[in-house]
Amino acid sequence: MITDKPLERTERAFDWVDLAAVGLLVGLIYAIVTVAREWSGPLRPVADIHLEARYLPLYALFSLTRGVIAYGVSFLFTMIYGYAMARVAGAERLMLPVLDILQSIPVLGFLPGLVLGLVHLFPRRNLGLEIASVLMIFTGQVWNMTFSFYASLKSVPPDLVAVARLSRLSWWERFIQLDLSYAATGLVWNSMMSMAGGWFFLTVSEAFVLGAHDFRLPGLGAYMSLAIERGDGVAQVFGVVAMLVMIVLVDQLLWRPIVAWAQKFTDEDMGRASESWLWERLRRSRLWQVCSRLRGLMTYPPRRRAIGIEVPSPGAGHLRPWGKRFALGCIVAGVLYGSVQYVRLLTTLSGREWMHLLGSTAATFLRVLSAVALASLWTVPVGVLIGRSPPWSRVLQPLIQMAASFPAPMIFTVVVGGMLMFGVGLGISSVVLLLLGTQWYILFNVIAGSSAIPRELWEVSRLARFSRGQRWQKLILPAIFPSLLTGWITAMGGAWNASIVAEYMKYRGHTLTTTGLGAAISQATERGDFHVLAAAVGLMAATVVGFNRLVWRPLSHRAQTRFALNA
Amino acid sequence: MIMASPLLEIRNLFQRFPIAGGQSIEVLHDINLQIREQEVVAILGPSGCGKSTLLRAVIGLERPSSGEVLYRGKLQTGLNPSAGLVFQNFALFPWLTVHQNVAVGLSSLPLDDADRERRVRRVVDAVGLEGFEEAYPKELSGGMKQRVGFARALAVEPELLCMDEAFSALDVLTGETLRNEVIDLYSRKTSPVNTILMVTHSISEAVFMATRIVVMGAHPGTIRAVLDNPLPYPRDERQRELRMLSEKLHALITQTVIPEEPAPAAVAGARRPVVQSIPTVSMAATIGLLEVLENQGAMELFELARHVDLEFTQLLLIVKAAELFGWVSTPGQRVEMTEQGRKFLAADINTRKQLLNAKLRGIFVFKMVIQMLEQSETGEVPDEIILSQLALYFPHERPQRILRTVVAWARYAELLKYSSTRKVVYGFNPAKSAVTSPKNAEH
Repeated sequence: MITDKPLERTERAFDWVDLAAVGLLVGLIYAIVTVAREWSGPLRPVADIHLEARYLPLYALFSLTRGVIAYGVSFLFTMIYGYAMARVAGAERLMLPVLDILQSIPVLGFLPGLVLGLVHLFPRRNLGLEIASVLMIFTGQVWNMTFSFYASLKSVPPDLVAVARLSRLSWWERFIQLDLSYAATGLVWNSMMSMAGGWFFLTVSEAFVLGAHDFRLPGLGAYMSLAIERGDGVAQVFGVVAMLVMIVLVDQLLWRPIVAWAQKFTDEDMGRASESWLWERLRRSRLWQVCSRLRGLMTYPPRRRAIGIEVPSPGAGHLRPWGKRFALGCIVAGVLYGSVQYVRLLTTLSGREWMHLLGSTAATFLRVLSAVALASLWTVPVGVLIGRSPPWSRVLQPLIQMAASFPAPMIFTVVVGGMLMFGVGLGISSVVLLLLGTQWYILFNVIAGSSAIPRELWEVSRLARFSRGQRWQKLILPAIFPSLLTGWITAMGGAWNASIVAEYMKYRGHTLTTTGLGAAISQATERGDFHVLAAAVGLMAATVVGFNRLVWRPLSHRAQTRFALNA
Repeated sequence: MIMASPLLEIRNLFQRFPIAGGQSIEVLHDINLQIREQEVVAILGPSGCGKSTLLRAVIGLERPSSGEVLYRGKLQTGLNPSAGLVFQNFALFPWLTVHQNVAVGLSSLPLDDADRERRVRRVVDAVGLEGFEEAYPKELSGGMKQRVGFARALAVEPELLCMDEAFSALDVLTGETLRNEVIDLYSRKTSPVNTILMVTHSISEAVFMATRIVVMGAHPGTIRAVLDNPLPYPRDERQRELRMLSEKLHALITQTVIPEEPAPAAVAGARRPVVQSIPTVSMAATIGLLEVLENQGAMELFELARHVDLEFTQLLLIVKAAELFGWVSTPGQRVEMTEQGRKFLAADINTRKQLLNAKLRGIFVFKMVIQMLEQSETGEVPDEIILSQLALYFPHERPQRILRTVVAWARYAELLKYSSTRKVVYGFNPAKSAVTSPKNAEH
């Protein structure tokens, strides 16, 4: 057994990746110390934000730290909630609708509770405020990850489950080897989307007004919001550039390698594999070999166990009946108490306030619909074109992904300023803002849908001499319909949430606002008017969930039964 | 052959599965079987006879509705620790290498790293996977994937090796090679595997590999016959004993699928249903059968299956459908076209539809649906109602499959229509009457 490959590997001198890793380690330690000093510092509700460019790396570090920690929390939440939902008998009947509602609640709906509670908990430290900000970013990240993990767990092939049982994998081994591995592909893609979703409300999560209190945490989002408030154009450009640099770096240093690595979890051998220069280098470096050896220890823990004892299948029957009943009782009691409190809060609202809120809902509803319609107008033809050409989609997909990761609210004021010059008010221009934030979801999905149309069908449509209109009507639209629908659902959910920042903003010392549910929520938060806030958030959640149930769900069913290409 | 004590004993095993609408179907009916050491037992039967379910109950993956499984005289409650299973579609973890896939089953055994490594290397060698240890399943061909499946099952050194149609997802030549290798492994006695329980629908596979063959019938799954096959290995398919056994099995299976007359109770085991169901095959295949018979003349069933390259039990179902329409008759093992069959074949498409239309109206399931349509005020019947009726009449079959066949045949015969979006069955020309004959329905 003499081969020259391993020898060559071990004798290689320090790879530059190893050196870079050491550098990275030093940087990381410095970063942790800096962040720790900031977090453990005395409470400073309004941090001094400097608009000079040299502060930007530090702010980017703070924001990135919050994003990464929030992602960690999201991951943990996903593992626990998703697993319980899929594997505990009967749990999904309650947990699935709850997740659906939570997903539809805009970030400001969580803000007062989080901030007041945590600042109360840490009255003298910055920590409380920081945790609140992290949790707000978390609410923008977590939901689609949880849904994806749950869906994967529900579709683990039964044969593989049988193998896991026959091999008597322990609960942990089975979770790692089977459940998590099977879900990996979906989780990785959704993690990328989640990270982008978390940045979207960065300006809100780091700088907000709550009643009489003004809160501002050092970070890119606060930097941007200050630059916008002061109308400092140069600082705004700096902020946008810093954000872009951060997104590109995270994409290249984190997501690309992870996506390339995650390919081993897919069943089929894809013709063109996703590539990552970093992953290629990493995999060949000495560091990785050490890591994989460590990983080997984790997967096969040396242990002795008597043969013939079957590990009980996790989930069903794990909880004792009384324990289960007790837990269920606690949940029901909590939900009941919460709803009673909530209804009591709502009853304090006057009829006029309700009328105003309902009118606002209608206004925002119209804006959301128009934004999705307008976005579809350009994304559908462009997406179909890109999807038809593999080389184009290869080049453009990563760029679009990057554009989608950029938090659109950061450039909202630029757009609004431009439109004000042409005499267009916020009522109309907020539609454009919503469109800026959500068009990417539609574009993504249309590209995916159009690239999945088999070549034979294009050929048939040419042989049948379809006119342009016929081709759209008979081939393209039906074929992309399921993906388009997914895009619409995501875009619409995003647009509702984005209305909070699109309908109300501080700009050069003025406050711009228009009638809408988003504006109502923002104003209520700023005034500390929790009755109106609760009512408005409830209305938004109800509208989103209701629309999902009444419109999207029947349409999805139709899409799956009639327009699925693999029928 | 040494008559060893029973390794495994199945007593009065019943298996029911719930289906939609709160009902359940009985998949296995009163199974009793003993498996002794040193045996290779093949469970042979048509699709839907519950043979895979039986295998899973034996291993402990499925808990029987009633009855018990004893292993070495002890009641088996959980998974059988001394059994290994090879799956039809390999069931490999795509994210693990060949080596890791094989080692999966060893992680729970009290072995140290060196022992574990030795075992993996030994089975990898034994199944001919050397050099592939670091490959991922997606890089392997079907045959190589199944070798990994075997290696994984063998790595735990099972007393009882179970195979669930382990060769049926492979191409003919690869399957042949692997079958030989498994028998080789078994008869060399160097491996700990001394008892094999395999599930198959291929008569030649059972005859070639097994020392005992258990024939099962479907709806519900029952054991119809048990045949010994004591010929020593290595075997040759052309051997006279094997050919005779094969003929006997063909006759037996034919008898279970297309009974000559109501089967005697001693063989049937279960009570026959009062009304006959329909074989769930396509109309095109049934007409294709007539075309073949016209060209080839009358044929032996076995010969016919080989000629059209179909699995024997699948062919039997098609013959059964043709017989239901009166197009063929089956004296013994022969299939002959009838006068009606000839007439149908000679007719043009519209006449064919008329002929079939008239035939279907005489078949119970269709009569039932037509009657439901006549009683319906809207001239439509939701599929759920038909499904629950079917479940009532045929408690051992999947109602969805029957309905799918009913709709396909009735559409061809211009007897009924079905809307998959509204999920209702309606008459072919509902404007005039609930059900019209094709003469009125021509476009």
